Amino acid sequence: MKFTNRISCKLKLGAFLGAVSLLTSGLTHAAKEIEVGVLFSQTGGLSIVEKSLASATLMAIEEINAKGGVNGMVIKPLVEDGASDPKTFNEKVSKLVIRDKVATIFGGYTSASRKAMLPVVEKRNSLLFYPTFYEGFECSKNVVYTGAAPNQQLNNYIPWLVKNLGKKKFFIVGSNYLYPKEMAKVAKTLIEENGAEWVGDEYLALGHSEWSSMVKKIKDSGADIVLSNVVGGSIISFYREYANQGISQKDIPIASTVTSEIEVAAMGGKFAAGSYTSFPYFQAVDTEANKAFIERYRAYTKDETAVTHHAMESAYSGVYLWAKAVSKADGIKPNEIMEATKGVSFDAASGTMTVSADNLHTSMTPRIVQWNEDARGTIVDEFSAPVIPLPYAAYGETAGNLFCSESGLDSSKL
Amino acid sequence: MLDTILIGLSLGSILLLVALGLSIIYGSMGVINMAHGELVMIGAYSTVLAQIHMGLSLFAAIPLAFVVCFALGLLIEKFVVRRLYGRLFDTLLATWGVAILLQQAIRLEFGLSFFGIHIAGLGPGLQSVKVPDLLSEPIFIGEFLIQPYRAFIIIISILLAVITWLLMYKTRMGQQIRAIMRNKDMAAACGINVRKVNALTFAYGAGLAGVAGVMMSGFKTVMPDMGSSLVVDGFLVVVVGGVGSLVGTIVASGLLGQVNGIFAALSNDIIARAIVFGVVIAIIIWRPQGLLNYKGR
Amino acid sequence: MLKHDHLRIAAYAIFIVTVLSLPVFFDEFWLNRASKYLVYGMLGIAISLCWGYAGILNLGQGLFFGAGAYMLGMSLKLASPTSLQQGGAGPVPDFMLWNAEPGAVTDLCCINSGSYLWLPFQSQAFGFIMAIVLPVLLAFILGSVMFRKGVSGVFISIITLALVLLVRLLVVDAQALTGGFNGLTDLGGLTFGGYEFDPYSVATYYLAAVSLILILLGTRLLVNSRAGLVMQGIRDDENRAKYLGFDAAAYQTFFFCVSAAISGFAGLLYVVTSEFVSPTFMDLAFSISMVIWAAVGGRGSLLGACIGAIVINMLGATISESEVFVESWQAIVGLFFVLVVLFMPNGMAGVVHGWCRRLTTKSSKSEIGGQLQ
Repeated sequence: MKFTNRISCKLKLGAFLGAVSLLTSGLTHAAKEIEVGVLFSQTGGLSIVEKSLASATLMAIEEINAKGGVNGMVIKPLVEDGASDPKTFNEKVSKLVIRDKVATIFGGYTSASRKAMLPVVEKRNSLLFYPTFYEGFECSKNVVYTGAAPNQQLNNYIPWLVKNLGKKKFFIVGSNYLYPKEMAKVAKTLIEENGAEWVGDEYLALGHSEWSSMVKKIKDSGADIVLSNVVGGSIISFYREYANQGISQKDIPIASTVTSEIEVAAMGGKFAAGSYTSFPYFQAVDTEANKAFIERYRAYTKDETAVTHHAMESAYSGVYLWAKAVSKADGIKPNEIMEATKGVSFDAASGTMTVSADNLHTSMTPRIVQWNEDARGTIVDEFSAPVIPLPYAAYGETAGNLFCSESGLDSSKL
Repeated sequence: MLDTILIGLSLGSILLLVALGLSIIYGSMGVINMAHGELVMIGAYSTVLAQIHMGLSLFAAIPLAFVVCFALGLLIEKFVVRRLYGRLFDTLLATWGVAILLQQAIRLEFGLSFFGIHIAGLGPGLQSVKVPDLLSEPIFIGEFLIQPYRAFIIIISILLAVITWLLMYKTRMGQQIRAIMRNKDMAAACGINVRKVNALTFAYGAGLAGVAGVMMSGFKTVMPDMGSSLVVDGFLVVVVGGVGSLVGTIVASGLLGQVNGIFAALSNDIIARAIVFGVVIAIIIWRPQGLLNYKGR
Repeated sequence: MLKHDHLRIAAYAIFIVTVLSLPVFFDEFWLNRASKYLVYGMLGIAISLCWGYAGILNLGQGLFFGAGAYMLGMSLKLASPTSLQQGGAGPVPDFMLWNAEPGAVTDLCCINSGSYLWLPFQSQAFGFIMAIVLPVLLAFILGSVMFRKGVSGVFISIITLALVLLVRLLVVDAQALTGGFNGLTDLGGLTFGGYEFDPYSVATYYLAAVSLILILLGTRLLVNSRAGLVMQGIRDDENRAKYLGFDAAAYQTFFFCVSAAISGFAGLLYVVTSEFVSPTFMDLAFSISMVIWAAVGGRGSLLGACIGAIVINMLGATISESEVFVESWQAIVGLFFVLVVLFMPNGMAGVVHGWCRRLTTKSSKSEIGGQLQ
């Protein structure tokens, strides 16, 4: 009984603290601060990648603050933990939006976590900066996508694999969820358009690490290239089993849309050597800007061997794009920032990134890398100019025929 | 067809590797150790750390991981499990808490990351282990492929099963364990130091998990939450095999491995896994005491 | 003895008054969060009823929770603007379009081979009712088979555990039908006679609060009824109860079903408060967490288990939101679990019962289930 009382005390205290923080946040605006949420998984299975996204976001915020902030305002990040669980993402995002009333949230890695955040962000008219490459098919007025859309990963990739490597038979393999399945759909169209064929399309549960049967299937299928949309820890056991079953990356290379510096470093260059990945950014991008970026990141994380990768570079650049938008926005309400985000661009380590006024996705420069024994990549192909994002590419969207524009989604085109 | 059976055998041997330690602990002590998967994970990390910091090969890591997990097992037994004998479900919950703690310990580098200290090989990242050349190059016999590493796992798991059998049936210690399994109070009355025997049994089971971890590290991704799915699989094997039956555990892991391998070849891995769960449910309903049981429960 | 009962009534009364008066103190964020935790409180009650009173440890309670959530979620999905604007005659969930074969008819009846199953969910009442009926049906089938076959103890836990993993796997795999790993998102609101429940409103909070109170009182009456007493007798000594002529399996199945109904209803309310459905509701870790909430609160006490669920989640959220513990909060929660199981075998309710006993007569007997093997 005593404890029931104590609990009600605690609840009151919680409400009280909430009220206090509301009050103080009101005060701090006067003291020139702008609060943003940083919501990635600090714990749980996905923290492997998401911690690096959080670090990159915080590093960008720190850099901007060091230069005097944005419009004289100091950016104040509120860091929350999504715990690799959509339920937690949903709860924390509502804390950030409704209680803390942050101007913007930087966060999310998996589509599942984004989908869990969307209802709160959209109904409350807040603003989310989502840094990950994803499957497309979204036309939200409340999300700025700074990662690659499917066309920015595949449209150059498949033709290059067919024409330059002379590959004719694709085996498509992925983790069992939306992103790999949508990527497979886009890829199939492109494969057929380029005069090749696909001989298999198979999925494994997320986190699955027993590849013996699948690799055997690949071997028996007669494929001469594998398109992998496998994500997470499964990637490493996949490449390993591939070598263990005696398949050489020279004969049947794996061409991936997910395998980044993180996974290659973890599996050891030996297993990845000869395989390919397509992203707009690689650590191997040979520019002074990128070298400086890598150095700053390593200093920031106090880790001499820290790797940079596409999603984290997008997370970092996203903050700069946002800061540019804030500096020209009419105010710091989420929708004012969103309006100002349209068309802003930033010279990122990966080249110029511009937020499309139509679909709030970002144009960027697709690249293809071939991995070497030393776990570094060599860029083997690069677009000469940034490519416009097409989130509905799988359904026939083209640059001249946008499905998602400033007026919203034209569902009659679907 | 032969390849499919070989794949099934390999899957089964991995199940056996995980289930063996669980089976001993559950069979003899009535303790459901949900931290078993995390002990496997610790074994895998021992291999990673031994390779990075001491330059030890995978072979040398086997005894090392055994010792590390044995010691950890003693600690868990002393501070947690010992207080919960006879409270089956409470052991399940408490060891689940231990599992969370172990995972977080690795993820936070034993809490040192809080002070900005980083230990190479720990942390939330993905790790992997080099496999000795001897075991990594596939061997072709004509068209037929043999993966030496998978063969090595099969051999090790059989070896461990044999050693465990010898321990249980040919040593004084094993006799005492079996006496405790039959009737704990009677065994105590006959002068067996139940506490000590239980502590050693638990530690031995934990040590086996450590060895399993070394084997896993050679072909799976080493990461802090690699163990959570393993414990479920291992536990299903133990229950299907029959509580306390070593032979049952071996038979069950072989059976489930083959079911998994065959259906993965016929359809896909997801269906195969679903069928494995289905088979387990059917077997438990059909024979709640397990395929081969040692004692009624 | 009488005095002890008075104390219990007082405890229930304080809890009820507290729950009902919270909106006075709360802003909309805390209201929403509190209604989620009240839903978790229902899960605590379901576990306590099943485990503490019937002796059945279900490690797959998430199956019933998830089933309830998906049933209502399907209805709300069809009510969502994203489903209505697809151009066809009736609503079609957007994810079905993504997963459709090229050239498929964009109609709910036949966009894919299983989509006709969604047709009745155009009625929200149907989804609402199914959110309770489906879990009960599942529990009834499962329970009849298990309990008739004499499966007991840890084997029930294993079967339920394997089953929830099996269903989760299938739900994720059937992406075209279920939304797969992302679950159901962009849901419409629950409407009752023209009133739409906004998840951040006081109305939604009271929906959860009143439901929780009714469930709490209902289960309280149930365990004190003849059936409840027989059930506890079966829990303590199944064979003796059978010799006395009680159909143990029937009682077990019944309690299993009641527990499933509560979980299904909790799943339904969770969807209303959080606006999405995800297969992670059927994660093993979530199901085990529920059991731990009940263990911490006190499995032998309905109110204790309910408060346990609320307090742990409150605690976890508070710790995880303090800057110092943002990385280590899970370890702290893990340690807390271990310590409670070790040193408070009957949970917080056990401790309170101990105090009450000291306050009242020494002769009054504890009603805690205690040593359940």
